[in-house]
This record gives sequence, C-alpha cells and structure tokens, in this order.
Amino acid sequence: MIQETRRVLKNIGKINPESIDDAIRAGAYDGLKKALLVQPADVINELMGADLHGRGGAGFPAGMKQKFVSESCMHCPQRYVVVNADEGEPGTFKDRIIMEQDPHLYLEGTIIAAYAVQASKGFIYIRGEYHDSIRKTRVAIKDAYKKGLLGKNILGSGFDCDIEVKLGAGSYLCGEELTMLESLEGKRGNPRIKPPFPAEKGAFGLPTLVNNVETLANIPFIIAHGKAEFRKLGTEGSPGTKIFTISGRVNRAGHYEVPMGVTLQELIHLAGGMSEGKPFKAALLGGAAGTFVDASMLEEQMSYDNLKKKGATLGSGAVIIFAEGDPVVEALHNCLRFFRHESCGKCVPCRTGTAQLVKSAEQLRNGHPDKKALLEQMIRESTIMAATSLCPLGQSPVLPLKSAASYFSRELTEIK
Amino acid sequence: MTNPLQLMCTQQIIEQFAPEQHNLLNILHALQDNHPQNYLTEQALDDTARYLGLPKSSVYGVATYYTMFSLVPRGRYIVRVCTSVVCELHKAGRVIGSLENMLGITTGETTPDGMFTLELSECLGQCQDAPSVMVNEKVYNNLDDNRLAEIIHQIRGSQKTANR
Amino acid sequence: MTKQISLTIDNKKITAPEGANLLQVASENNIAIPHLCYHKKLSPTGACRLCIVKIENQRGLIASCTVQVSDGMKVTAFDGELEEARKYLLDWLLSEHDESHDNSYDDAFRELVHRYGLDKKENRLFPSIYKELGYPTDESSPVLSYDAAKCIKCFRCIKGCDEVQGKNVLSFTNRGIISYIIGGFDNWGESECDGCGECIQLCPTGAIVEKPHRSAINLLNGIQKVRTTCPYCGVGCQLELFVQDGKIVRSNGVEGVSPNDGRLCVKGRFGYDYVHSPERLTKPLIKKGGKFVESSWDEALDLVARKFSEIKEKYGRKALAGYASAKTTNEDNYLFMKLVRKVFGNNNVDYCTRLCHASTVTAMLRSLGDGAGSNSIEDYAGSDCILVTGNNMIETHPVTATFVKYAVQRKGAKVIIIDPKWTPLVKDAHIWLQPKLGTDVALLNGMLRVIISEDLIDREFITKRVDGGLQAFERLKALTGKYTPEYVKAITGVPAHLMTEAARVYARAGSPLIATGMGYSQQVTGTHNVFCLINMMLITGQVGRRGAGLNPPRGQNNVQGVSDVGASPFTYPGYIPVEDEENLRHIARIWDVPFESLDSKKGLSTIEIMQAAYEGSVKGMYIMGENPMLTDPNLNHTEEAIKRLDFLVVQDIFHTDTTPFADVILPATAFAESEGTYVNSDRRVLRVRKAVDPPGQARQDWEIITEIARRMGSPLGNYRNESDIWDEIARTAPIFAGISYDRLKDQGIQWPCPDKDHPGTDTLFLEQFNTPNGLGKLHPVDYAEQNEQADETYPFILNTGRILYQYHSSTMSRRNKALTDFANQAYVLMNPGDAERHGFTQGQKLRIASRRGLIEPIAVKISNEVLPGELFMPFHYPEAPVNRLTRDEMDPYSKIAPFKLSAVNASPYKG
Repeated sequence: MIQETRRVLKNIGKINPESIDDAIRAGAYDGLKKALLVQPADVINELMGADLHGRGGAGFPAGMKQKFVSESCMHCPQRYVVVNADEGEPGTFKDRIIMEQDPHLYLEGTIIAAYAVQASKGFIYIRGEYHDSIRKTRVAIKDAYKKGLLGKNILGSGFDCDIEVKLGAGSYLCGEELTMLESLEGKRGNPRIKPPFPAEKGAFGLPTLVNNVETLANIPFIIAHGKAEFRKLGTEGSPGTKIFTISGRVNRAGHYEVPMGVTLQELIHLAGGMSEGKPFKAALLGGAAGTFVDASMLEEQMSYDNLKKKGATLGSGAVIIFAEGDPVVEALHNCLRFFRHESCGKCVPCRTGTAQLVKSAEQLRNGHPDKKALLEQMIRESTIMAATSLCPLGQSPVLPLKSAASYFSRELTEIK
Repeated sequence: MTNPLQLMCTQQIIEQFAPEQHNLLNILHALQDNHPQNYLTEQALDDTARYLGLPKSSVYGVATYYTMFSLVPRGRYIVRVCTSVVCELHKAGRVIGSLENMLGITTGETTPDGMFTLELSECLGQCQDAPSVMVNEKVYNNLDDNRLAEIIHQIRGSQKTANR
Repeated sequence: MTKQISLTIDNKKITAPEGANLLQVASENNIAIPHLCYHKKLSPTGACRLCIVKIENQRGLIASCTVQVSDGMKVTAFDGELEEARKYLLDWLLSEHDESHDNSYDDAFRELVHRYGLDKKENRLFPSIYKELGYPTDESSPVLSYDAAKCIKCFRCIKGCDEVQGKNVLSFTNRGIISYIIGGFDNWGESECDGCGECIQLCPTGAIVEKPHRSAINLLNGIQKVRTTCPYCGVGCQLELFVQDGKIVRSNGVEGVSPNDGRLCVKGRFGYDYVHSPERLTKPLIKKGGKFVESSWDEALDLVARKFSEIKEKYGRKALAGYASAKTTNEDNYLFMKLVRKVFGNNNVDYCTRLCHASTVTAMLRSLGDGAGSNSIEDYAGSDCILVTGNNMIETHPVTATFVKYAVQRKGAKVIIIDPKWTPLVKDAHIWLQPKLGTDVALLNGMLRVIISEDLIDREFITKRVDGGLQAFERLKALTGKYTPEYVKAITGVPAHLMTEAARVYARAGSPLIATGMGYSQQVTGTHNVFCLINMMLITGQVGRRGAGLNPPRGQNNVQGVSDVGASPFTYPGYIPVEDEENLRHIARIWDVPFESLDSKKGLSTIEIMQAAYEGSVKGMYIMGENPMLTDPNLNHTEEAIKRLDFLVVQDIFHTDTTPFADVILPATAFAESEGTYVNSDRRVLRVRKAVDPPGQARQDWEIITEIARRMGSPLGNYRNESDIWDEIARTAPIFAGISYDRLKDQGIQWPCPDKDHPGTDTLFLEQFNTPNGLGKLHPVDYAEQNEQADETYPFILNTGRILYQYHSSTMSRRNKALTDFANQAYVLMNPGDAERHGFTQGQKLRIASRRGLIEPIAVKISNEVLPGELFMPFHYPEAPVNRLTRDEMDPYSKIAPFKLSAVNASPYKG
C-alpha cells in the first residue's frame, strides 16, 4: 500500500520551526554550503538534470527558468529572486505548511537560487492572511543573517544576498507571477503584458527569477544529494515528490508528500478513505482554476504529464473530494463566484465575463427553462474568455466549467 | 489601550519604511494594524502618499484593490469566514448564519459595541480542518455552533479583562 | 535608420519598420482592426482585447497592440473566429455600459457597436448589468465630469495623465467589475488634477467629458472646426476650436503636429470663455468731460489721427511713442511698427519683452548673435540633462514641461533647478539649488570654477568656436578663480556639494538644454545672469548640435514674433539694427519712402518711454494690447507718467487698468476673431485663424492701424489681407524670406528659413554662431551686490511671478469660469519660520509695503516653498498690484526691470 515519502516535509513536526539551530542540526543549509563551492552554472545544470518542475501550478522546468534569468541582460545593475508565497488557490495549503513548520528549508532554496542566478536581492511575497507564515519567515531571515547565511559575503563565499518579506493583502491574482511583481512594486494587482517575461524584465524592470515556495523547498535536496537521487522518485516526465493537499469528503484531510505518479485512489486511501463511507463522486484537481474528474479517473497517475493527456490538471496539488449527494453545481458556482471576486478588472473578457458567468451559474442553480443550452453557452463564453483574456485568471473559468460539463452534464442540466 | 503600537502616530509608523513605492503595501498593513478600528483613515492615506511622493489616487487605488484593507472603521476583531469551495462543502454557510445570530449583525457590519466586524474571505488555506474562520491573526478550525459560541465568548471575556 | 521588413496581414503585403507596433502598422495600411484602449501616443495596455489577431506559428489569439512586427510575419486580422470573439467582447462591454448619449462627444465604442450590429438589442447575448453595479459619477472637478457607467476602463485617461502629461494623477479604485477611475481619494476636485483635460481628449467614450459649454454642443448639428494657435503662453499649442452657432464651445489639442502633439494645458483647453465675454469692448470710446462716450469709428479714428498729427507738429516727431503687443499677430505688429517708423517718424516702439526676456535676448545677441531659443520644444524629451534656471515651467509653460517630465520620468534625464522658490518641477529634479535672490552670478561663477578646475571643459570647442579661443577662456578662468565653493556658499547659501554635482552633471551630459526664465531675466543683473549661462555652455561645448543649447521659453503667445518683425526701438524686422544703413535703404524701397525719412537712431524702450512721458518729452502714446498700469514696475511712477501725456490711445479687447487713462479706446479683435501668424518660443511661425465674428464693431488691429496712418496722410500700403502683410514681412526680414501662408497650412516653420525650399531650422548654431565673425563670445562677469537690500525697515526680499491658472494681467484668464474656479485669489507666500516670528497665521490679511508703495489687504500663505526672509506674490491680480512695490531701476544692457527683487516689510492689515 502507498506510503508517504517525506523529502520536503522531512522535518515537519520534528523541529522547532523558530529555531535555526534545530534546523541546522536537521541538515538545513547543507545544500547551500555545497552550492557555494561550485559555480552558479553548475547549480543550474544540476537542477536542469533533476528536471524539477515548478510546483506552483504551471509546471515549468525550474532549471530552465534559472538559466534564462542568469543569461538575461548582462549589463543590468541588479537581478532579483522573488519567492511566490502568495498561496491562494482554493484547497491548497502546501506552502503554508512549509513556511509554518520548516521555513529554513525554503529560505535555503531561495539563497541557492539567488546564487545560481547571481541575484543579490530577494523578496518573499507572502499572502497577507498567512500571519503565522509571515512571522516565522521573518524569524528565519533574522536568524539566517545572524549565522552569516544572508547578507554580505555569505559563508565566506563572496556572494552577497539580502532578503526581505513583502506582504500581500488579499488578492488571488497576485499569485500570478507578473501581477505579483506589480504588487511587489506597491501597485494595484493588474497583470502585465507578456512578453516580456520576468527573466527579461521582472521586478523594477530588471531580470527576476520567480519561484514557488515548494519549488524552492526541493532545491536543497537536489543540491545536497544530487540530481540522480532526486529522480529516483516520481515518474520519468515528472520526477520527484509532490505535496498534495487533500480536502473535502475524506477522513484525514491534510497534506501528503508522495512521489509523482500516485493515483487518485491511492491519495484518497492515504487520506483515510471517504468520510462516513460515502461513495466517491468527484474530485476537483488543482483548485478553482482546476478540473473536475469523476470516478473514471481514480486509477489515473497523478503527474503533470499524465493528467495533461487526460485533459485534467495537477495544478497546485489541491485535491478536493466530493461524495455522492454533493451537488456539482454548488462547487461550480463557488468557483465562478471566486473568479468574479478576484478578477482585477483590467481586461474586458475577464472583468465582465466572470460577472456574466456568475449570473448564468445562478440560473443553472436556481432554475432556467433550457439548462442544456445555458450550459453550452457558458462553455462557449468561457472558451472565448480563455482565448481573449490577458492573464491566466480569465483563462481559468473554462477549466472547471468544461470539465464539470463533460463529467456531470446530466446532473447540471436536469430541471429541478 | 492594549497594544503599545497604538500609541504611535501615523508619521512614526510610515517612517519605519524607506520612502519607496514598493513599501506601500507593508506601510498600509502597518497603519491599519495600528489603528484600534482596523482601518485606514484618510489622513493615513494622505500622509502615506506624501511620504512616498505618490499621487493620492495611487494610494487610494491600492488600498481599495486589496480586500484586507478597509477605508471604513471596523471592529476591534475582524471575523473572516472562509467561503472557499471546501469550507462551503463543510457548511460555511451555516457558520455565517450562526455568527450573524450570535453577533446580531449581518455580514459586512460591525457590532454596536465596536468589538466585531463580520466579513467573508476567500480560501484561508485551512482546508484540512474546514470550516474555518480567522479572527484578526488567529485561525479557528473545525467549527460548529458550540465552538463558535465559545470563541466569541472567550474574546469578549478577554476584552473585559483587558479593559478592567 | 530602422530596418524595413515585410509582413502580411490578411495576405496583404506590407512593408514596415522592424519592431513597429502591429496595430499601428495595420491602421496605417488601412486595415481597420477594431480597438478601444490603444492610442498611438500611449504605451500598449491590452485591456479591451478587440485588436486580437492570429500570427502564424504563434499560439492563440494575440492582442496586436502588444506585438512588434518582424520580418516574414503572417497575420490574420479578420476571420470568423476573430470576429466572433470581437462580437463577444463588445457584447460584454455593452452589458456593463450605460448607452444613453447626448451627442456632445465622439464615441468610438458606439461606432464599433454599430459596426458589429450590436446596436440591435436582439443581436446581443448578455443582459445589461450596469445598473446593479452601483457605478458612481464624479462631478467635483471644476472642468470635467466622470461617469463610471459610461467608462470602458481602457486606461487611456490614466496613461495620458501619466505618460503624456507626466502628472499621473489618476488611478482605478476597487477591482473587477466594480472598478472605476478616480482622481485623489475618489474625489477629482480635491485631487492633484490641474485641469489640463488630456483625459477628456483621450477618452474614447463619454465617460470623461468637459463641463464648460458641453450642454451647448450637439455634434450632429453643424459643428465647425477651426485650427488655430493658442493665445496664452509662448509654446504655441495648436488648437482645434469647435464652433457652434457662432460661439466657441470646445478647444482640443491637434494631434500629430508640433509643438504640442495634442497636448494642452488648462488655459488652452478651457480659457476661451473671455472671447464671448459681455465685457468685451464693442465700440470706439472717446473720453468727453472725463467720461467715455461711444462713438463711430470715423469720429474716433479722425480724432486719433488729428491728435497724433498735432503732437508731431507741435513737439516734433520724437514726442510720439507706441507700445506694440505680444498678444496680437505678427501682421498687426509689423504694421504697428511701420506706423511708428513711417508715420510717427521715430523708433519709439517697444513692448513688454522689455519686461520679460530683454536681458536674455541681449545677452544671447551679444554672445551668440541670435536672441531666440536655439532648440525645439520637443528636444526636451530627448535631453539627458535639463538645467532650469528661474523658470517655473510647469505653471508658465505647462506643455513644454510635459516634454521635460517625459525625459525625466521615462528616459532617466536629470533636471537641475536653480530657483530660490519651490516649483512643482522640484518633484522631478535631480538637484535643486536654492540661491538667495539676486545671487545667481556668484552661483554660476562657482559652477564655472568647478568645471574649469575639474577639467570638464571642451578645449576643441573653445578653440574652434569661441572668439579669442583659449586666451579668452583664460580670462574667464582668472575671473572665476575666487568663486570657491566656500565663497559661493557664503553669498548664495547653496551647499558646496550640490553646486559641484550640478556643475558636473551639466558639463558631462550628452545633450543638455538650458531653460531659462523670468527668475534670471527680471533682475538688474539679468544680462549678467545669462552671460554666465552662456559662458558655461560655451566652455563645455554644450551647444551647436541637436538637443543642446539655451532656450528662453517665451511668456506670451507672440512675444517672439513681435521682436522678430521689428517692433523694437533697436532693430528692424529680422533683428537688423536701426543704424544699418544698407537695410534702411532696403526698407525705404519696400515702404516706398525716402531713405532719409527713416530715423537711424535707437528709439526709447518700454520703461524709457514712460520715463520720457514723466519728464514730458513724450506727449502722445498709442498702446496696442498692453496693460502697463498693471505690468510696469513701480506703478505709482507709471501712473504719474501716463497722466502727464497729452493724448493716449489704448487699443484692446477689454477695459484694463490702463484704459481709464486713455483719451480714446479702440475695440480690437481677440485671437479667435483674427487671421495672421504668431511665432512661438522655438521660432516656429504658426497660423492664427478666424473662428468667430468679432463682437459689435471690433476690428482687427492691423485694420485700425492702417486707418490711422491713412488719416494721418501717410498710408501704409494696400493690403488685401493678412497674407499680403506677411509677404511684405518676408521681404523685410531674411529670416522669414522662405515662409508663406501656403507653406504654413498644415504646420509651422522654424526660422531662419531663407528661401522657399528651405525646411526651416530646428537647431541654431550648428555650424557657427550668428555673430559677425561666426564665433561665440565669452563675457566674464563678476558678482555684484544688489543696490536694494533687506534692512531693518524692509526686512523681506519680495519675489514675483506667475501661476498656472492666471495669465499676465489676467484680463483674459479671469474671464473664464474654469480658470477662476481653480484660482482667483491673490496671496503672499511666506516661510513658516518668518510667519511664526512675526506672529502671522495662515490666511491672515497683511499689509506689504516697499519704499515705493504698498498693497493691502493681502492674505498670507505660509509655506516652505520660499526661503526664510523671502516672499513671493503672483503679479496677475489688479486688486493686489504687486508692481506698486517693485523698482524701475534697470539692467544697464537690456533696460529690463528687476521685478524679482524688492525689499519690503509685512505687517498686519488693520482694516
């Protein structure tokens, strides 16, 4: 039977997250020490060899991203590392667990990443609601300075790096990397036009590496133990482990670190099985910007590549389980309402489209003479939104909508 | 006055930060947290704009974009009910109803004694123990009516002690 | 040269510069891709998404406004999928939109809705939701209204305010479907908005509309649009006036032409009310028994001609004098000058330039050979260092300032400000040097010393282009040797490190421009101040190429042109000295007069004319469009002088502070009723066109002038129209020789323009200076203490100047509701320390007195915008005529008066 394999979460519950000495005893900063002995390019090569994919949702190869940043704008006066700790995807709390329980792990990953791209300044952008994460990260940074792990001439290597915490203030969209940079600069969370990508023009117009907390938390292991060791777990196309956060109708909702490639069924089992013994009905994978699946997907491997093939998404690793009797239309309505609330309003299709979709979803829920036509129209709208929107938010509603319709069209369109 | 920070004037708070635009959100957080009514006064926005050399509208635009900031006075305790898809599955709607009853206000309002403001929140990332609410910086999970009553009672009690 | 590439759009082959904006390229090739948020003056936003296209080998639909074209690009702009998506986008927008419309504005959105058939409700998918969204309106601004329900949130207003005007006053509030535009804290009227109206002009719908006269506008009902030139400051903004039922109802900036490319300031956009003021002069008035009585033109003109002739006969030809006008056209002024020279028979013609940039012009003429700005206004945008001396350009030349702000905010240029008083540009400044009033020569000599001692000079330039070369430079070096940083600080109060940094930044810059204003010119050392600037410019070689030089922005619409066409006691058209015999013979031939009849001695300058009137040698005066009773220094003295005249004619559009002293008042046309040309600050000859009829019997100035000449028995010529007059100007002034009305049809031409194939001159002094030997001349000058000093009785030094919302003597600006809504109150600025010491409180009424006069009551505005010991007052307000306090001591070279420095005291007003 499937067991948890804790690599990233190995210290969870075992150390005092506010004690750097505890963390160091448990191996923290070993990766950094090793990294500082080699060339920045060697660090990037190791990550590329490990084929670590970004754990924020998009799954872009992390080493490649670092390579782009390290090679961008050689005459620029400054380069930045920005940690995306704006975890806001519904059903997702993996980064919070890392920040609250082992903050030195991702801080170490951040410093290694900064070294790899030669960034002397880093920002950690943390969700404003994550008070505990903010506090513990600040303690970790302070202690790291004291130990010479941050600041000038880190561990005698000649590498300088300063890191400060920036607070979000209640905006899901600021978890999108270009929007986060706007917010980081003290502006409204309106997305930027892409290109340029952050690697070219990121924070303050300078080359910037933006990485998710969990991604960075994987780096110390790769540097300390090597790419081969890292690849021993997971699948060929999605190596390593992934933290899934399972919630909804399971007995032991929570965070589970497992090798990439476990099945949905195995995850439910890990989480103690279906609550109250109710039959499984659906899962929402990846949060609101994710996809619904039904029981036909229970045996599918949960990896970036496989799910993509099946038209589903792994996203942030959120797995929300629904049981028989839970109406899909409610979940769908909740997701659409969420998008309306979080749309920044900059581009027309997202601003108005999300508002109109909520109106339609209310009709879908409360009664409409031709729900089939209504649902089709909603899919059409969200498809055009996806094609025309400026940023990922407006491109998202089609995901839960289309997947819900493909698995649960009868339920959604039946007249009550 | 329980919080020593509350004795600080706006200017003192602002000047802890470098006068650079990227500090705007951190400054607004600090100003709001310092205010006993958990909001950003027009004076605070004005001082911030001047300190950062920003137009008023930029500061106002930021303060109204982010949901954590308020431009109207609120209670000493902000009760934020998570309405995510997970919490909703675990009857967040009932939590809202119960809190409205217990506090005698509807969502968005502040109790007449200035103690509580009831608000809704997007996912608080506490889905392992849904449903959840956050009261100021503290998170409460696995809520039912009894637990909610207990929490409210406890906060009221601690306030009475503090006021004595 | 940018590389040309080729691409196809819907199979149409197109050539375009590499990297150009795809949407722009399409539109220039008549491919009308729909769009709302894009504007070619602004950075792309990508908000409306209407301009989506498909590009071969690229994924998905791409907003063409965010694409740079590259070679071989294959673009699909129209197909079923794209058109369906666009229809959805418009449909979505419609659902959050209030479609009511009063036809007072163009509506690009409504046009698109029509194009896609969505004006028919049955073609729409989405229910209207705008009423549920609680969109507010904001009526708090004096000049505009905002309606969020008509707003499509395209960002054009925000970006126009930020990127074009450099003000960045606007933002969004809230987010998502309930977001909308705000100024200030959701209160436009209390925001930093200065009312320029750029946002109105850029708004593609009717969300932001002007307040003045909008209710009178119906675009469906025969609007006439007339292109002309702004009548306020010397930038020369090109306006498009909307005329309906004989009245001006709107003023827009003209896009795509210099100098303003669509930009305007609050005066240009909203300052036209005065044209239709009921207070306009409409009939000639003759003073009879101490009262003005309406008369016929014949009676008035006969009287004027008879009186002038009598004075000439009785006291000789030098007893007459005239003030020409910086407000009226070149053609008017040319004939005015011709009247004085040909009919009066002397050179006693001058105008307010003597009160503004005479010192700058004098210094420039002596050193460089030309008294006009060396560069183009738009060059500021590409400069890397702008030295702003005594020049509050954001308020006095707001549109020029937009180019400066662009350079700073978008290109990282450094602005160095030298000004004792805070000005709004300080916010954008790299360095602000704040010397005590009247100490500029010391400061600049200090900067020169830094440049010399750090060897930041340009030896090659000095050798090749400076008269006397390195030897002349050695004399300057010797003179500046004593201006050590410590010595300079003792005189000026400016910290050494700031002065040093300023000198280095200027000397090392790649394309530095100096913008010098009234703060430098209106001093007894005015000419010396500018000599110092020129010394610095010459030894560093920061002139003689595009984007480097010295520019005095001119304060009035045609102050440049009036000098150019020779309304000066010292020069004929084209700056040819009155003593130049060859020129006099040339002129005599053109004017068909005996050469001997032309006076070859310099005439009296502005202040000298008043002094001569005071002393009794000038007996008759003709004042055209000037108001010396508010604008001349030492007004008590001026008043006495004017009273001593035997006969005074004032020609104007309103009663002014001067008209009560006239014997005859003649009603003239305002700018919108006139034809002709102005010359702006960068030597650009610009057309002025008639948009509306003059009120009553008012006549254009030149027509009045020719009548007076005819009745004095010496006709000026047979001019059918203004173009005829211009052609004569072009024959008399070589700098204008190649310019004709035909060539001015679409855009202005910068002089010198010696022949009809010459494109005009954007930069002066490229090859040589305009001096006789072609070399620039250094004028080493020493700092001298001012004669007027603060003392126990008069402990303050008073500075004077302008504000954005008023103009000159405010006869025009005060007759505009929009402008007076913004500012209509005189005040005196005082440093908080001084106010505290004297026990004055904010707004308290004071009495300000100098050795020459006093003003009371005047409200005090306590602000650290001024240094301790210094005061500042705007000079616009007749109820607080600051020139009762100023001196008429003159700069010995240029005869300018020191408006910027008077010793005064302040005491509580005791009503």
